[in-house]
This record gives sequence, structure tokens and C-alpha cells, in this order.
Amino acid sequence: MASILLKNVVKSFGSFVGVQDMNLDVVDEEFLVLLGPSGCGKTTTMRMIAGLEHPTEGEIRIGDALMNDIDARDRDVAMVFQGYALYPNMSIYENIRFPLRMRQVPKAKHDDLIRRAAEMVELGPFLDRKPGALSGGQRQRAALARAIVRQPQVFLMDEPLSNLDAKLRASMRVQIKHMQRELKVTTVYVTHDQIEAMTLADRIVIMNKGVIQQIGTPDDIYSNPANTFVAGFIGSPPMNLIAGTAQNGTFSSAGIRVPCPANLSGNITLGIRPEDCQIGGDNLQGQVYGVEPTGDITYLTVRTANKNIEIKAGREFRAPIDSAIAVGFDTSRLYFFGEDGYRVGVN
Amino acid sequence: MASVRKSGGDNLLVRYIILVSWAMVCLVPILWFLTIGFRPRTEIIVPEPIYWPTWSLDAWRLLVSDWPIALYLRNSILAVAGSVVIDLVLAIPAAFALARYEFKGREDIGFYILSTRMMAPAIVAVPIFFLFKNIGLLDSVWALMLIYAAINLSLVTWIIRSYMLDIPKELEDAARTDGAGDLTILWEIMIPACLPGIITAAVIAAIFAINEFLFTLLIASTSKAYTMSVALANFTGGSDGVIYNAIALVSFIAFAPILILVILIQKHLSRGLTMGAVKG
Repeated sequence: MASILLKNVVKSFGSFVGVQDMNLDVVDEEFLVLLGPSGCGKTTTMRMIAGLEHPTEGEIRIGDALMNDIDARDRDVAMVFQGYALYPNMSIYENIRFPLRMRQVPKAKHDDLIRRAAEMVELGPFLDRKPGALSGGQRQRAALARAIVRQPQVFLMDEPLSNLDAKLRASMRVQIKHMQRELKVTTVYVTHDQIEAMTLADRIVIMNKGVIQQIGTPDDIYSNPANTFVAGFIGSPPMNLIAGTAQNGTFSSAGIRVPCPANLSGNITLGIRPEDCQIGGDNLQGQVYGVEPTGDITYLTVRTANKNIEIKAGREFRAPIDSAIAVGFDTSRLYFFGEDGYRVGVN
Repeated sequence: MASVRKSGGDNLLVRYIILVSWAMVCLVPILWFLTIGFRPRTEIIVPEPIYWPTWSLDAWRLLVSDWPIALYLRNSILAVAGSVVIDLVLAIPAAFALARYEFKGREDIGFYILSTRMMAPAIVAVPIFFLFKNIGLLDSVWALMLIYAAINLSLVTWIIRSYMLDIPKELEDAARTDGAGDLTILWEIMIPACLPGIITAAVIAAIFAINEFLFTLLIASTSKAYTMSVALANFTGGSDGVIYNAIALVSFIAFAPILILVILIQKHLSRGLTMGAVKG
């Protein structure tokens, strides 16, 4: 088990910079999730930790050892890929055994280790099958078994659930989290799915365009987003971001007025989460644009002159389209962002 | 529902008619050719075709009595099989490097290898004759083996390379993080995953090699190194004239090993071995 340290890591591909000056400290036994839109550098970061890409600049350490010049095969990390990457010509048993053979684990121990790993992911009855004869979920579990069988220092998981259907994804998520707690192996997990990130992570690293936007616990990231990118990325639906101006302790935009810290002025972006809005109040005047009941909650979209605002209304809420509506904000949960997109007006 | 099923049946019938007609177009010349091998000589050269042959083993008797057919067949098989082995041993690592390693001039080297195939064989015929004369390999099956290998190497390399390019890079990344080195990846991951491509390349190389004529004629100056393709030419000249029924029979014997080979490995000739490795 080991910590991972990235110090001033840069990765460029020709003139394109994939990862910019990245500093990251993954604590021993931590479950760290790299979250961001596609092309944000999260997979590149993971591949550098695995040794499949080499950093252009900077240091990568696993435990205390500098890894920059260590080949992937000698790093003692196990990786799970989005496309499973099972060896098609080998049975599931042989697939799980492959890393044991490569690492010269004594032969006598193989069978025991393989069966234990297969048991953990509930693949016991399928060991004799070829990957082609398994379903997507079973293949992904086989890939997991191959990763856990040799108890590596680090697990790397590159969007392992994104090829599975929603129901299977939810059950595999719980399984992965449980397994990581049981094995206590430091894990770096890449995803673009915020639900996966929020549910799995001890800490989330949000990336955009090769730059870390914020590092924090899921709660921290949700309640204290550092900038508009994080605020707009996390939450479902994400935070409403409304451009406007602040003057003399009041923020105003078309149809919207809320109190703001007196020291704010000029162009400001207001952030308010859909669940912090209530029907009735005097902060927003608009028209109903859409009502989407989902059973336990009703999503309401309100049109203002500038922008549509998403609101989570009570489950019974219904309103005709284009009717006038007044909305109140929980003013203790307002977020203000400056022109550079970063949070302002925080004490 | 019934009408749907009926039209499905009609479709199937049409499909069978088309397929059977096409199979006839392909097979009838070969079968016709085979009957020539079992007709008496005179029946072949009459002006009006005789559809139903008068069966005769004349050609067969001629082959067995006057002709060392076992030697020629042995030479052909030895030279062709040897050349295919040489091709695979050289082409598989080369294809792996061209498909997976990143190095300066990779595309140029790949194209250079392929370009050797574009040259007309006649251009190099004379130099090759003197080359083999100087190293004392004229009139030898080993020389043929080397020449066939050289002729097909570029094609075999390219076919295998293009299969390897289709193997998902993730497989190799997975093997690397599992602790495998390049040789292990090639041997345990890439070769099994590319097996259909490797077999296809080998069969194509074998077909080209068994039909090779020009270089074989140059190198094999006596019957010691004759292969089936050159020995065939024996029946086209000389005082006996063109002996069509013997030519037909010998051609069929030369064609048979490849036919048997293809039937045996038919299932590998189609793709699908990588199915299930990676979600497409």
C-alpha cells in the first residue's frame, strides 16, 4: 500500500498541453476520483501514474520511490480499463492468472489466489469461460479480479463502469467501494460521471483543460465550489449560474434581486442550487417554461429574460406552462463568483 | 404473419439460386479441368467438346512411369512451407514494431517494405541468378525457399501489421501493467489475437509461392530442384507436343495441397477471434 505524489507534472503532446503543472498528493489507502469532462487530462494523468505515458516535466512518486524512469511493468500498479481489456484467447482463469505469472508469484499459490479473487467479484462459476462468452458486467468483474489478484500497491481505474447499463453500474459501484475498503489499496479512479465521483470518492479532483480546478471531499466540493466550472459541473441538475451586477449590497439581473455582501460591485455571477429555491418569494419573477415530475421530485424550469433557472420543487408541484411564477432563494446559500470565475464575497 | 414468412421463404430460395449459380461459375472450370486429366489425349483436342469423358488413366500412367512426380511435389512442398515459415518468423516481429513502436521514419520504413513488392520480378532476375550462382546455391530447393520468402515477405508483413493495428491498444496496456515485457506481449497477447490474420497471410504467401515460375525456372536448372509449376512446362514442348491431360492432372495435384490447407483452417480465415476482448 502506498501514497502517490505528483509534483509539477506537465504532459504535452507536441504543442498541445494535456496536463499543466499538476500537484497532487494521494494519501495511503485513499479513494481518489479524477473527475472532469472528456479531454480534461484525467486519463492522461492516470496513464502517467501507471507508466503508460511519461511526463514531459515533473516528478511522479509511488510510496517514496521516484517513478519517472520506471517501466509500467515494474511499478506494481494494477489497472482496470474502460473496455475491460481481457485477453481474448485465454479463459477467465488464465486472465486472472496472467499478472501472477508475470510477477513470478510461486505457482503453488496461484490457484488459491485466483479463486479468492474470483470469489470477491462473484465470478467463481465462470472461470473456465472465455471472455467472449461473458456478459458486459461479468467481463468487467473479471477485469477487476485480474487487478485485485496480486494485491498491488495502487489500483488505477479508467472509467471502468461507463460501458455498463445504469442498473449494473449502480451495483458495481457499491461493489468497487466495498472492495476498496476491504483491501485498503490506494485507488485512483477516473470518471466523467459526477454521481460515481460523489459516491465513491474520499476526495475528488476536478479537472478542466489539463488544470486542477478544485480538490476536496465530495461534501466540500458540493457546498464550497471554488469557481463557476466546479459549480456548474457538480449537482444534478447543476447549480444555476446567473450573470448580473452587484451594487450597494444588492445583486440584480433581469427578473432577479438578492442581497449580496456589501463589498461586491461590478459584474458578478450568482450561483444558486436548484434545491435552495422555493416556490413563492420575492427574489425571482419569471414564467414557467417546463414542469418535469419524476415521482419523488418535480423539476421546474423558470424562464427569465436572460436565462432558464432550474428549480427542484415539491413532488406535488404542478403549474401550467407560461404562467407567471415568483421564486424565493435561501439567501444563506447564495454563491458569488467574480469575473475570473472564482468565488468572491466569502468570509 | 404468414405472408411475412412466405416472403422470407422466397427470399431464401432466391438467395440459394444466386449462391448456387455463383458456385457453379467458380467450380465448373475446375471440375472440367479435372476431367481433362482423366481423358485420353485424343478426346481433348477434337474440335467439338465431348461433355462426358471416356475415362482413362493415360495421363496418370505417364506421370508415374516417366516422371519423378514425388520429387517435384516434395520440392514444391518443402520450398513453399519453408518460405512461409521464414516469412512468419521475420514478418511477425517486424509487423509488431511497425504497428506499435513509435520511432522516426516508421511510416517510411513501412512503405519501403511494401514498395519492394511493386518491382517487376524480371528486373532483378539476372542479378539474383548471379547472386545464387556465387554463393553456390543454384539448382537447390533451399535457394527457392529463400527466394519465395523474399518475394512474399513484404506482403506478409503488411497483412499482419494491419491486423495488429486493429487489436485494441488497451490489451497491450493491460499486459504491460500486469507486468509483461515486449516479447511476452507479442507471444502471449498479439500473436493469439492476430491468429486469423497470420493464417490468412500464410495462405496467401503459400499460394503465391506454389505458383511462382520465373525465379524457379532460373534457379532450378535440372530436375533436382524442379517444382510442380516448372515441371509442368515439360509437357508443353518437345517431340510429343503439348500433353494437355498430363498438364491438367499435374496442375490439379499442385492445387490440391492448398485446397486441403484452406479447408482445414477455414474457420481461422474469418475474423472473430478478438470478439469479447474489448467492447466495440
